[in-house]
Amino acid sequence: MKIGYYPGCALHGTAWEYDQSIRKACEVLGVELEEIKDWNCCGASSAHILNKTLSVLLPARNLALAEKEGLDLLVPCAACFNRLKAAQKKVREENSYQEAVPIRGDTKIIHINEFFCEKEMLLRIRDRVKKSLTGLNPVTYYGCLTARHPRVTGMANYEDPQGMDCVLETLSVKTRPWSYKTDCCGGNLMMTRVDIVKKLSGNLFSEAAEAGADCIVTDCPLCQANLDTREHEIAREAGRTFDLPVFYISELIGLALGIDAGQWWKRHIVDPRGLLAKKGLM
Amino acid sequence: MVVGGGIGGMQASLDLANAGYKVYLVEETTAIGGRMAQLDKTFPTNDCSMCTISPKLIEVGKHLNIEVITNAEVESLRGAAGNFTISVLKKPRYVIDEKCNACGDCIAACPVEVPSEFDENLMPRKAIYKRYPQAIPNAMAISKANRAPCVLTCPTGVNCQGYIALISAGKFEEALKVIRERNPFPSVCGRVCHHPCESECNRQELDEPIAINPLKRFAADCVRGMKPEERKIVEEKPAIDPARPKIAVVGAGPAGLTCAQDLALLGYPVSVFEALDKPGGMMYVGIPSYRLPKEIMMEDIQRIIDLGIELKTNARIGSDGMKLSDLKTKGYQAVFLAIGSHLSRSLPIEGVDLPGVLLGVDFLRDVNLGKEVRVGRKVLVIGGGNVAIDVALTALRQGAEQVELACLESRKEMPAHEWEIEDAAEEGVKLNCSWGPKKILSKDGKATGVELRRCTSVFDAEGRFNPAYDDAVITTIDCDTVIIAIGQATDLALIKDEPSIETGRGGIIKADEITLATTAPGIFAGGDAVTGPKSVVEAIYQGHEAAISVDRYLKSEDLKQGREKAKSEPAPVPEDRSFEKRPRVKTNMVSAGERKGTYREFNLPLSTEEAVAEAKRCMNCGICCECLQCVLACGPKAVDHTMKEERVDIDVGSIILTPGFESFDPRLKGEYGYGRMKNVITSLEFERILSASGPYHGHVLRPSDQKEPRKVAWIQCVGSRDVTCDRDYCSSVCCMYASKEAIMAVDHVPGLQATIFYNDLRAFGKGFEAYCESAKKNYGVRFMRGIASAVKEIPSSNNLRVKYVLDDGTIQEEEFDLVVLSVGLNPSESTKVLAERLGLKLNRFGFCGSEEFTPNETSRPGIYVAGAFEAPMDIPETVMGASSAAALSAGLLSGERGTLIREKVYPPEREVGGEEPRIGVFVCRCGTNIARVVGVPDVVEYTKTLSHVIYAEENLYTCSTDTQQKIINAIDEHKLNRVVVASCTPRTHEPLFQDTLCEGGLNKYLFEMANIRDQCSWVHATFPEDATEKAKDLVRMAVARAGTLEPLKDMAFEVNQKGLVIGGGLSGMTAALSLAEQGFEIYLIEREAELGGNLRRIKSTLSGERVEDRLKALIAQVEREPKLTVYKQAEVIGFSGHVGKYKTTIAHNGKNIDLDHGAVIIATGGVEYQPQEYLYGQDSRVVTQKEFEEKLHKGDITRGSVKEVVMIQCVGSREEGAMFCSRVCCSGAIKNALRLKEIDPQINVTILFRDIRTYAFSELFYRKAREKGIMFTRFDLDRRPLAEKVDGRIKVKAFDEVIGKEIEFDPDYLVLSAGIRPNPLSEKLSTRLKVPLTVDGFYLEAHMKLRPLDFSNEGMYLCGLAHSPKLIGESIAQARGAAARAATIISKKELLIGGMISAVDKERCAACLTCVRECPFDVPVISDEGVAWIEPASCQGCGICASACPRKAIDLQNYKDSQVISKCEVLFDTIDAALGA
Repeated sequence: MKIGYYPGCALHGTAWEYDQSIRKACEVLGVELEEIKDWNCCGASSAHILNKTLSVLLPARNLALAEKEGLDLLVPCAACFNRLKAAQKKVREENSYQEAVPIRGDTKIIHINEFFCEKEMLLRIRDRVKKSLTGLNPVTYYGCLTARHPRVTGMANYEDPQGMDCVLETLSVKTRPWSYKTDCCGGNLMMTRVDIVKKLSGNLFSEAAEAGADCIVTDCPLCQANLDTREHEIAREAGRTFDLPVFYISELIGLALGIDAGQWWKRHIVDPRGLLAKKGLM
Repeated sequence: MVVGGGIGGMQASLDLANAGYKVYLVEETTAIGGRMAQLDKTFPTNDCSMCTISPKLIEVGKHLNIEVITNAEVESLRGAAGNFTISVLKKPRYVIDEKCNACGDCIAACPVEVPSEFDENLMPRKAIYKRYPQAIPNAMAISKANRAPCVLTCPTGVNCQGYIALISAGKFEEALKVIRERNPFPSVCGRVCHHPCESECNRQELDEPIAINPLKRFAADCVRGMKPEERKIVEEKPAIDPARPKIAVVGAGPAGLTCAQDLALLGYPVSVFEALDKPGGMMYVGIPSYRLPKEIMMEDIQRIIDLGIELKTNARIGSDGMKLSDLKTKGYQAVFLAIGSHLSRSLPIEGVDLPGVLLGVDFLRDVNLGKEVRVGRKVLVIGGGNVAIDVALTALRQGAEQVELACLESRKEMPAHEWEIEDAAEEGVKLNCSWGPKKILSKDGKATGVELRRCTSVFDAEGRFNPAYDDAVITTIDCDTVIIAIGQATDLALIKDEPSIETGRGGIIKADEITLATTAPGIFAGGDAVTGPKSVVEAIYQGHEAAISVDRYLKSEDLKQGREKAKSEPAPVPEDRSFEKRPRVKTNMVSAGERKGTYREFNLPLSTEEAVAEAKRCMNCGICCECLQCVLACGPKAVDHTMKEERVDIDVGSIILTPGFESFDPRLKGEYGYGRMKNVITSLEFERILSASGPYHGHVLRPSDQKEPRKVAWIQCVGSRDVTCDRDYCSSVCCMYASKEAIMAVDHVPGLQATIFYNDLRAFGKGFEAYCESAKKNYGVRFMRGIASAVKEIPSSNNLRVKYVLDDGTIQEEEFDLVVLSVGLNPSESTKVLAERLGLKLNRFGFCGSEEFTPNETSRPGIYVAGAFEAPMDIPETVMGASSAAALSAGLLSGERGTLIREKVYPPEREVGGEEPRIGVFVCRCGTNIARVVGVPDVVEYTKTLSHVIYAEENLYTCSTDTQQKIINAIDEHKLNRVVVASCTPRTHEPLFQDTLCEGGLNKYLFEMANIRDQCSWVHATFPEDATEKAKDLVRMAVARAGTLEPLKDMAFEVNQKGLVIGGGLSGMTAALSLAEQGFEIYLIEREAELGGNLRRIKSTLSGERVEDRLKALIAQVEREPKLTVYKQAEVIGFSGHVGKYKTTIAHNGKNIDLDHGAVIIATGGVEYQPQEYLYGQDSRVVTQKEFEEKLHKGDITRGSVKEVVMIQCVGSREEGAMFCSRVCCSGAIKNALRLKEIDPQINVTILFRDIRTYAFSELFYRKAREKGIMFTRFDLDRRPLAEKVDGRIKVKAFDEVIGKEIEFDPDYLVLSAGIRPNPLSEKLSTRLKVPLTVDGFYLEAHMKLRPLDFSNEGMYLCGLAHSPKLIGESIAQARGAAARAATIISKKELLIGGMISAVDKERCAACLTCVRECPFDVPVISDEGVAWIEPASCQGCGICASACPRKAIDLQNYKDSQVISKCEVLFDTIDAALGA
């Protein structure tokens, strides 16, 4: 099985462990990732709010490249995913972009949360699990960009996505029910409005704790970075501790598949090693 | 034809049937009643919904001229208005409703539970069910989907779902019986079946398949373990007739024995010839005992032999002893060959003949037959199938120390079942996959090992077995024993002497695929000998089929006819139900260590608890599991599983569609968490929770923990007024039902805090405003303006956090115990299909819709619509619309009135006056419903001792048709003159028994009923002795009253078949014309000089229709109509008479004219409020909406002439003195505002409002208005706008509640939406006509919900603004509806006055006026004689006057004081006696 891969800038930078865990897991699961050659920025950081044309053409170019390879496209970053999906919808609806970037617009754009929960992938995971992760009590956190707007993302159950929950179930993990799977963490205001970020993220931490979670599992590099970096500060200001490591789903898949994950944990600000050791998972 | 049996459909049917038309009422579900039956209470009267609808259900159900067709759908339509042919598909209900008496015994027997649709899935029902207790038809129905995949997959068609369901219900014997229907070897198959059923089980889509096979074993084991006396089911032995043709079965394996069993059960003498000394075939010799203990298998076999089959062992056919041809000469007329395949295949390689090389099948046979079989220390098994595995495991048990297995296939390709391979691996068998044997190595003439070569592929490109090898890769496995287990073959020796039997490729007997006939006549063959080696269950199937063929052959019937197996689609995963994930039960095995070296059975059984729990995982994909327990339980033999769907063509003149609605699916608004959060429910679910027959018996509890909620929130507009889910219309009813539910919740749980989050409070109907005010004041319901944006669940408590925005923009969160979503009304998918089949256009939401001036009409002539399919509306509007549609139908078909109706004719009534009472008593057992608690024979014996009882008997079902005849015969034979039935309830059954009396020539009032079921056996189920005593008391009381009963005569009088309409406005004219169209002569009385009323001042409708043209046409039509006599400038000055015979006196042109008529319709309209406020009358720029509309119409306002217009809503409405909404002003204001924007988009238009009440599709205009830039500013009543004159300009100040600031306007026009007020002349007219008014001054109908067009005085009707404020279309519908109601009276030549009425004893009457004041129908008057007079034709028989009369001067016939007291006297007799003792 071969699939196109669009890591985006985050996975080449801050979300290195996300990228690595995806690559390693795919290797074990027999999925060949073909990184799109000469890919460029998706425009999520600023282009999409500053320039309407660029907001479409930047991601459209990546889609055109993927089309050339003739492969479905796996996009782990939620923001990239959202931009690519939005651009594809736009070029399908409006002809005017064809001149700049001629594309068909039929590439299947797949996010991590739908990729690993496909029946075939679940079976592969099940067959290759080395270590069941029983004992972890995570809440799954999808954030907003892979879910919304449903007319762009095409996600049916956008108020209560199930992709990561399905994967975790296959890893023998029962996720804690909570109602905040897709509430915003404030990630896009990370630098500009820290007050809002603290309020939104703080709410997520306290709700996760109330739900009885001992960690948060996400598939968005922006959310992960935002939550992981702010957690200590928010906890301090609230005069409490949360101790909620924020995992990428792919890290947990990797852990279950028996991949040596030592390098990943070090990059987490809220160190997950204590929790993993306590649960006998490392 | 009326399509849809809800309240609308019932009303339309009754109106038409009562006016002389034959009606077919087609309903999709199994009972009529619709949504209203599901509701708890109704607003604004808080009446019990079921109590108000129930009499209608019964009236429809027993109406001679309404044919109710339930469980049916309209498939197609031909023809045109007046002459349609409709094809109706009647789906089977699998219960014959005429036979079913709804006793419920089948429900108790049914093992399948599914969620009850009627209870919104909050509680379970059985697969056989009655939709709800009061359902009409009063009969059960069975729900079936396609058959479950397990059943369809089973090679022999075992009803897996059936036995699983029975196990889940603890009915293990019954379960085994179901298995044996198709599989005589449950103990065997429960252990060795390869269970393809489990691979198809739908449950695996959710988690794991049901452990179907272990459950089968459980059922067999469990029953085997029972002592004979514990068993309930006695197996019947067939009567074998030795005179019938003898049949020989060759081979006592599963195929042969199955065939023998079936033929024996048909009564044939059967002999089974078995070559070995034990029966069982491969089951005996092929399956090792650790899988299938011999004694267990023998029990299955013995049971078959015991049917009377002759078993001959050691009787090999084809050997020296007997040839196949000898069978014929010995008198066997048919033969079934089921000889299996007992030969081992060997390998064409070097060394196979060496000692130490064995063949698999032979090896197993020898071991199984107990022969001494020795194997070496190291054994290599060649082969990868199930036999190879068994050989390997058997070799281990025969003493081998090490067993290896080598096969051509790769591990994944191995043909053996995965679980068997795992078993072998566990016991230490080493697998060598992808190796092919090259030669067997030997030393000293003994096998020492096998040389193997690498097998690169087993199958070629075409998928045929064609192994390819790589000879370069060679290995050797050392061993001292080699067992070749690569296949089996059939020993065809026995057919050598029957050359006419052909054989097929691979050494099998050739037999027809369907009939199993060989090429020799009379000889059939099946099982492995025909199919090649297959499974037990496949052999069983062939055995069954062979038996059918043999039977047909012997009867010289066609062997093949009807036996082609049609492929049926299996039932899918049930989408309409939700299941929680639960893992499959673990079937345990003896551990690998313990099972080594022993033949003890290694699969362990399930415990009873495990089995029941596992069976409960079954999703019941097929719903009904066809276990046929209901058939056994049904006394009257009403269940019929063979029913098929049926298509009927029905000729009708017109069609009325009342298919109702479906609630919006709140899963589409995921932010509210419905479906994920247990305590988020829909409003309809809450109705069921409130209902006494609902899941919590009327206690308000929340689903998560069944605790009383203290704080409940309602969220409005879920799926209404919402573009995000394409439902931008208003559902019209939710604000009110939520208010009602909130009131009811507080009523049920004192102290409960109810909060309603709403957009605009749309309380626009009659009495609604006051109702909502009362909700606030008397019940503390908190109305919070603002839509809740999200609901979050608190994990620890399952409480809910509702997020909402306050008026000032701040976001709030509040915790609630329960959240009710006020879901909107949607047209259902099935109504969309219906519309397509009928060729109707629907609006973009899928509603039928209609035009303002043609309500209830569809896009196709002759097809009419009413209720929520037309547009979202509540019950009274539905009822009015239904009557209106009935009027349209009646108008179209007036020539056919009376042509198709049926009337029942009875024998002449026997005179019983003066006779001593001769009472017959019939005590019903009601199946076991009464008899299991009450000692019925005891009651009957007791009854016989009562005085005047001439005859008493018990019946299994007194209501059954044959018992009715018995009653009639008994009346005749014993000269009975009174009849008592002691049974279920008079509510449903009294009319039936009274009818029986009539048929027996007795007056129907000579009947009395004792309720010994509903009020005795059902409520005292655990106290049988006391219940029997109570039943005796009840019967004694009934007998006592029966003795005092007198015959009463229903009197007939002639009806004046003319109608009179008072009021010549839109409603009056429409009503009059409708009646004229229906063929009646009508008087129309108008006070003014001109017809038209209020409509003359309205110029256009919201949708832009020109009113003037319509009005002109209408007036012209009225004046042209010859059946219509119009009196203008006429006034009613006198009114007298009763239903069917009224006399109205009018003053007209200075003369008094008497008009005789049978019915009257009041359509006297309303008036516009004359404002005193906001400078009205002080400045010409301050005008009412109507005045402003006239200006717009005249062209007074042109582009540029006006800059700003302000409109103020609710002027003279919704406040002290007029606590009602005028309903029309919001859409009126929006209409004029939009017109202004059309004239000049630059005009600033602001509408100052309290709530915008644009219900149903007018909501779309509200949105359009906002899009066009019309400003809407909300004010509260305590901060109402201020208008003042400053420097010659009008200044308007308003406090905007949303922005929290005062705004000033400088309008060119200030337009006041002045409300509608009742006609000031109503007071006078109401006194003259003796009809009541509401506190607001509108006319008061008989019942706000179900009789919105009737006065409580029969023959008098109302419509239009006289009833309450309403829009043009609503007035038209109501007017036509009133006409339909009136037609039910004046269509009849004569009316009957009921016998059960009050009569005054003139001697005793003191004329105290008590009765005059108490009568709710205003019937009693003081006559010229100075005493009370009750007009028999008007009396409703309620008995209030009789109980109120202080001098006991009034008696209600049939319920005279003496008759009621007689019951009490005999009751107290025993109490006195008891006290005395």
